[in-house]
Amino acid sequence: MLPARTAPLLSGALFAAALYLVPVPFAGYPYVLFALTLTLCYAIPAMALNLLLGYTGLVSLGHMGFAGVGAYVTAVLMKHGIASFAPSIAAGTLAAGFVGALVGVPCLRLRSHFFIIVTLAVGMLLFLLFNNLDWLTGGAAGLPGIPRPRPLDLGFAVVDPRRPVGIYLLAATVFVLVFVIQYALVRSDFGRSLAAIRQDETLAASRGVDVFAHKLTIFAISAAIAGLGGGLQVVFLRAAAPQSFGLLEDINLVLIVIVGGAGSLFGPSLGALLFVALPEALRVADAFRMVLFGAALVALALFAPRGLWGLAAAAARKLRSDESAVARVGHS
Amino acid sequence: MPASGIRFAVTALLEQIVNGMMMGAIYVLVALGMVLIFGVMEVLNFAHGVLFMAGGYLCDVFVVHATGSYPLAVVLTMVTLAIVGMALERTVFRRLRVNLPMQIVASLGLILIAENGAVLLFGPSALQLSVPSVRSLVRVGELSFTVQHFIIVGATVVSIGALHVFLHHTRFGTALRATSQNAEAARVIGIDSASIYRITFAVACALAGLGGALLGPLFLISPQMGDLPLLKGLTAIVLGGMASIPGAIVGGFAIGIVEAVSTLFIATEYRDMVVFTVLIAILLMRPWGLFSVRVRGDA
Amino acid sequence: MQRLASIDHVPVVLGEVCSPAAAAEAPVASDYSIPLILTVPTAPDLTKQGNSFLFRVNADTDQLNEALAAYVGERHLSPLSFIAWNNDAGRGGVNGMKALLPKDIAIGYVGYFDVGAVDFSSDVTNIRKSGARAVMLLMDEEPGALAIRQIRDAGLDSQLMGTLAMGSDRFLTRLDAKYLDGMVQYSAFPPSAPLPRIQEFGKAYRARFGEEAHGFAAQSYDGLLLAVKAMQAAGTATDGAAIQKALSGISFDGVVGHIQFDGDNQAKPPVYITQWCKDGTRKIDFPANLKSECGAG
Repeated sequence: MLPARTAPLLSGALFAAALYLVPVPFAGYPYVLFALTLTLCYAIPAMALNLLLGYTGLVSLGHMGFAGVGAYVTAVLMKHGIASFAPSIAAGTLAAGFVGALVGVPCLRLRSHFFIIVTLAVGMLLFLLFNNLDWLTGGAAGLPGIPRPRPLDLGFAVVDPRRPVGIYLLAATVFVLVFVIQYALVRSDFGRSLAAIRQDETLAASRGVDVFAHKLTIFAISAAIAGLGGGLQVVFLRAAAPQSFGLLEDINLVLIVIVGGAGSLFGPSLGALLFVALPEALRVADAFRMVLFGAALVALALFAPRGLWGLAAAAARKLRSDESAVARVGHS
Repeated sequence: MPASGIRFAVTALLEQIVNGMMMGAIYVLVALGMVLIFGVMEVLNFAHGVLFMAGGYLCDVFVVHATGSYPLAVVLTMVTLAIVGMALERTVFRRLRVNLPMQIVASLGLILIAENGAVLLFGPSALQLSVPSVRSLVRVGELSFTVQHFIIVGATVVSIGALHVFLHHTRFGTALRATSQNAEAARVIGIDSASIYRITFAVACALAGLGGALLGPLFLISPQMGDLPLLKGLTAIVLGGMASIPGAIVGGFAIGIVEAVSTLFIATEYRDMVVFTVLIAILLMRPWGLFSVRVRGDA
Repeated sequence: MQRLASIDHVPVVLGEVCSPAAAAEAPVASDYSIPLILTVPTAPDLTKQGNSFLFRVNADTDQLNEALAAYVGERHLSPLSFIAWNNDAGRGGVNGMKALLPKDIAIGYVGYFDVGAVDFSSDVTNIRKSGARAVMLLMDEEPGALAIRQIRDAGLDSQLMGTLAMGSDRFLTRLDAKYLDGMVQYSAFPPSAPLPRIQEFGKAYRARFGEEAHGFAAQSYDGLLLAVKAMQAAGTATDGAAIQKALSGISFDGVVGHIQFDGDNQAKPPVYITQWCKDGTRKIDFPANLKSECGAG
């Protein structure tokens, strides 16, 4: 077995390589690239919410609102030609983080039930602002006509985000970046303090953890990353619409994280694959499928709270412990 | 302001107060159910909106296919929803009492099942149910309202009275109040919490069903008809105090009237924003609500 | 749209019902050189984006509003109020109408509501407060029926003005005829008009579907036959670019009237104004040469 440090690094590198090699077989299938790019766009706010929900134990029911802040800031800057892609999306990310901090300061001191409700209300308020501030956000019709980033010359190749392969590679790069950030945060001392806060706030506080500062920091970071995802999404779709950041999407994001597996690194991505790529593959989920899906959610809530990734991990653990039990006895 | 201007303004205010009382009554019915469930079981039932919606559809089915009598259909709807509530409590919510995130996931699952189930059974277009109390009008000066407006307020007042009698003058109601105050202690003195939870859900869901059955004929019966009442009801119980019944009543009527009157001053499309801003303000300033007492750990 | 273009490789796409979706699909049509023929969405700037692959058969809101604006001016229906969808169609309709109204018409209350809203009581109160003599309803049948019923039930007797969807018998399934008495609406297809092309289509439609023909059906029918004629003219059923060229220069007489595309690929079909009568029939009020009695609208 490889030493504990290198195993995750190796699998991470393999995963990233696989991600970048996807266009090789699928270059001639723009629809597949479209579905996967959209999945990556959703995986980013999912990872952001996972940091809050899975690792710190804070349930935020309005998180797509922050994605919307990032999205609209990016959209307005790019559509009116005020800035190019990189500064626009950076501005979007910072704006979302700032709004997150602003919301977090008064709201994070509320305990669980109230925190959930207030995040729901904030999410709805942000949506209503996107929907009604016509002069800024285009109102209910949104902002169509957002340009794609200009082609990037890497020396050995040119990446053109105006084509399906190019925008996919851009999305994959942002995804890998966010994944690395997620990994670094979770494995750091800061991340361990968050886990302590999730398990027992009072205990963590008594051990010297500044609970409020930790919560505020992760809330702002999580909002910023959600904003990054939002900015990427509107550049990909070339249009910003308020429905992408409303109540249904807030709920969708929570489901992506929880069903995929909250508190795990890959859970949100698995959830995004399930909730975004699969419906595209099956084409619009019809009412009957949604009933089955609802039933699956209820079953999940009752029997599998760690989500699908959790189920898979538990199954893997069980297999390994069976093997080692057999090995110890000598024979079955 | 010219005299006619003042007359217009007063008439408008009166009209909106009546409309606000009507919608407020609906919010009260939703809020009462949610506050009962939360107070007794500490469960935040996000699926309450679809129970409201089910009330609307069931009432339509009972009127059109069973009895033709609207009042009888309403009663049947309440009974059916009480049974559904007990089933939900037993199968889903009892296990999730301490797990808030999973309550949300389960509620969302139920919402998907119910809303899509409604589409499968009744089609995606909304239903129109025409009943005599909606077709008849009442004139009040130059204003005019349907009889249903007053029936809604009346039915809510009757429900509040009935609930009060139940909670304060019956053994079961007293047991319920005891459980909501301190579940452990209630069990110690021999109160069977399982049946308390069952009855709580039954009453709460019956009230939600009543709301849907009352509002449905006035507007439309659609799969999404419970979404906004859920959010407004949630706001009402936060405003009033999450385990306080008087709070839910005051909160519901207050929200109804405030949002109706606000449309006289600000654009109608901002009406929902008013409610959410109120919600956020309450949570930030006095999260335990107007009628509850601050408990340690509340913030 | 992505899927139709890149996987199914269709040569022409007909349809799209709502304007924002059409706006999102148009760039894809251009990307893949596949003409997209719209037959229902009315947002004016759909055809002002310079997209040569987007065609529209139906009249846009500006064209529809012209006749109604004249109606308001002639009868001096001032102040005029609006209740409109809170989206492109609604806001565009209000702004478009305001721009076309004569200067002496005051604008009363303008109320926007989100799609799916059912409670118009606030709008009713504000309309009453503004003393509006006419109310224009920019929405489709479902909220329209609710709004009209609530307006009349509250005792307001302002002149009602509606949109395309409110001018057919299907509207009567939602609302008692007594509520509709006197309401006018713009129309691209008065189902009972004494014009041969409309009468023939109406008869065939009723024989096939058992109900009165509807404007959207007529427009879509024309769109389909138009696409076929273009494919015949271009001599291909697979080359999107060739079909697009054929469409640009086409001249076609459809059920809704003569269809020919201008520089923006927008057709200019005839527009009518119909008015409801007490007994649930309609009559044509505009154009003047087609003015008729109850029952022929």
